Amino acid sequence: MTAVTLPPSRRRREVLPVDFDDTAEEAAYRARVRATLEERDAELLHVRPGQSADARRYEAELRATERVLAEAGLVGVTWPQEYGGQGGTLVQQAIVAQELARARVPTLINHIGIGMCGPTVIAHGSDDQRQRYLARLLRADDVWCQLFSEPASGSDLAALRTSAVRDGENWVVNGQKVWTTLAHVADFGILLTRTDPERPKHAGLTMFVVDMHAPGVTVRPLRQMSGDAGFNEVFFDDVRIPDSERLGEPGEGWRVALTTLMNERVAIGGAGSDIGQSAEALAAHARDRLPALGAEQQVLARQAVGRALVASLATRYTGYRRFTTLSQGGVPGPEASAGKLGGTAAARLVSDAGVRLLGDDAVFGATGDGDETWQKAAAYVPGVAIAGGTDQVLRNILGERVLGLPPEPRTDKSAPFSSGGRR
Amino acid sequence: MNFDLSDDQRDAAAGARAFFTGSASPAAARAALEGTAAPAPGRKALADIGFLGITVPESAGGAGGSVLDLAVVAEQGGAVLAGPSLVTAARAAVLLEGAPDLAAQLADGSAALAVLDGPVSGSAPSVDAADATLFLGLDDGVLVVGEGEVVPGAPLDATRGLARVRMTSRRVLAEDAAQLWARARQVGAVVMAAEDLGAADRAVLMGVDYAQQREAFGRVIGSYQAVKHMLVDAWVGVDQLRSLVWWAAWAADSAPAELPLAASAAKAYAAEVFERAAETVVQVHGGIGFTWEHDAHLYWRRAKVDRLLLGDAAEHLDAVARLAVAGALG
Repeated sequence: MTAVTLPPSRRRREVLPVDFDDTAEEAAYRARVRATLEERDAELLHVRPGQSADARRYEAELRATERVLAEAGLVGVTWPQEYGGQGGTLVQQAIVAQELARARVPTLINHIGIGMCGPTVIAHGSDDQRQRYLARLLRADDVWCQLFSEPASGSDLAALRTSAVRDGENWVVNGQKVWTTLAHVADFGILLTRTDPERPKHAGLTMFVVDMHAPGVTVRPLRQMSGDAGFNEVFFDDVRIPDSERLGEPGEGWRVALTTLMNERVAIGGAGSDIGQSAEALAAHARDRLPALGAEQQVLARQAVGRALVASLATRYTGYRRFTTLSQGGVPGPEASAGKLGGTAAARLVSDAGVRLLGDDAVFGATGDGDETWQKAAAYVPGVAIAGGTDQVLRNILGERVLGLPPEPRTDKSAPFSSGGRR
Repeated sequence: MNFDLSDDQRDAAAGARAFFTGSASPAAARAALEGTAAPAPGRKALADIGFLGITVPESAGGAGGSVLDLAVVAEQGGAVLAGPSLVTAARAAVLLEGAPDLAAQLADGSAALAVLDGPVSGSAPSVDAADATLFLGLDDGVLVVGEGEVVPGAPLDATRGLARVRMTSRRVLAEDAAQLWARARQVGAVVMAAEDLGAADRAVLMGVDYAQQREAFGRVIGSYQAVKHMLVDAWVGVDQLRSLVWWAAWAADSAPAELPLAASAAKAYAAEVFERAAETVVQVHGGIGFTWEHDAHLYWRRAKVDRLLLGDAAEHLDAVARLAVAGALG
């Protein structure tokens, strides 16, 4: 046998071979999580058709569910213990997400706070801010939202115009945000503002924590194409924010926002995400619905279901691979954008297949026994392809930062913002 | 859980990359297509380095390794369009579980084996059959081995060694072998998906390299979104395919109940991802990518052929749906 010359391996640490089974430790953790969920099942909300009929009551039930889960140590699994988290691993977080899905517990009401706002406060907040906010956030005593996008600056986020002007110990905020998920129920938000229009657009921004009940904050729900009103317009009229609520230094807002955005893509693209509908839900739906279709329609529907399941599984296992990298000490890199792209594509295929399985009911009218959730899921996906970075922006990030292709020309990058991008 | 390769597997991949880079290449694939050479590196070199016996038990002279070990190696072979395919070795190793003498000949290269799809009295085009002398086939549920009459085709991709075969002698290896046969085909599908992963990955890199250099309208073409996004979509597909290949290979070794679903998922996705990658690399190169001299068409050829071998994407998508409906997702 010819000897193979092996290059010296770049050993980081002892790495186990690929293994999709739980280790003994993970199996024990999963068993504990499952037992906890069974024990407290009666106190938890469960996914059911028509759940959004009474939005206020549903919100209260979601808050109560999050409180129960937080008491049981199942919220903020990877957060540091000193802020109410469990100091756990990403794999443990994935296990919790899987078990919550298995128990049909809906997405936590504070998912934006837990996935994005909280980690930003942990990374850039003062000790005082961390003490005041984080434990309450985990228990859903306070719900949080993320006030970034504006009518004229969505993908071009750094072009935002909402201004914050220093006035003694306060800042005075004026402007408008839009597409703000959960603003209508939120108690606090992280708010990205322009504090220095004379500097280039990325350099003149500052981040704050804003009290959503403060005078001058007006929230107007927007009905989205799925028919739900999950996001909002938010108006700021002379809203006063104490300087102690600043997150990071003045002018450092972009750097702070990047922490949020990177966590957002991990949260959206990672394992346990339920955008659209899950592979398991589609399989169950197909089991119910296939027999009612004609022979030819069954063939076509199975192709659609198969394609959707493959995309969904590819996204799921890619998310697990990222978790492994992060567990070994990596930081969320631009690859996280691939998870979001994959997740969006899978959600589109899964919801389309779900609608196709409805047969005539898809166009004639849902029967009301839960089928409408598939129509809603389909009408939700176009938003997924925009929120948290459009598919096109994410492709630019991947093309430039992972594949090393040259950047898009950005002529306004170094010009003062006040010049409108002209030097 | 762990969803990353171990250091040993990374070392194996690096070793395989070094071997395949030194013994096979797209240029060799082009020579095979022109009929001036056999697929490289050829059976003897693959046997000598031990790659034909990776999943053959140590007691039969193999390495006693896992399907995942083989998949990691196969990915590197795919990157340079190596032949014969490790699919044949993987599939034969499963079928020869009860025939250690033949398994030993597979591992040491003393038998030139191929596995026949379709009827043994006149097979469908089968991988690596063109230069084989001993054939495995399923005849009415019975696993048989024997010699045969080989009719090579004028293949779209010469590296797959495709030929139709009429078996002229047969010896029964196992009665009632339908299940064994199905598992062998699933393992073969996983290894083909692994080869496709390597080839698709290489194709995308070729496209990226070119897009970083070629200028048009005063700018490097990779800076245009039309080009950039096409390459990113191909890359995302490759990245996701890697996850399915590892999952399916792991299932072959450690979770047999998941193998049918995972193998079909990996094979179906591989067909689509590899074809998109190959079409992308041609398009990014423009007219140059359409020339005989450029390597792009060699990857495109294999993508087109692999898409149809061991069941096309439509068959595997149907299988995924049927298995999931029957409860395979748990």
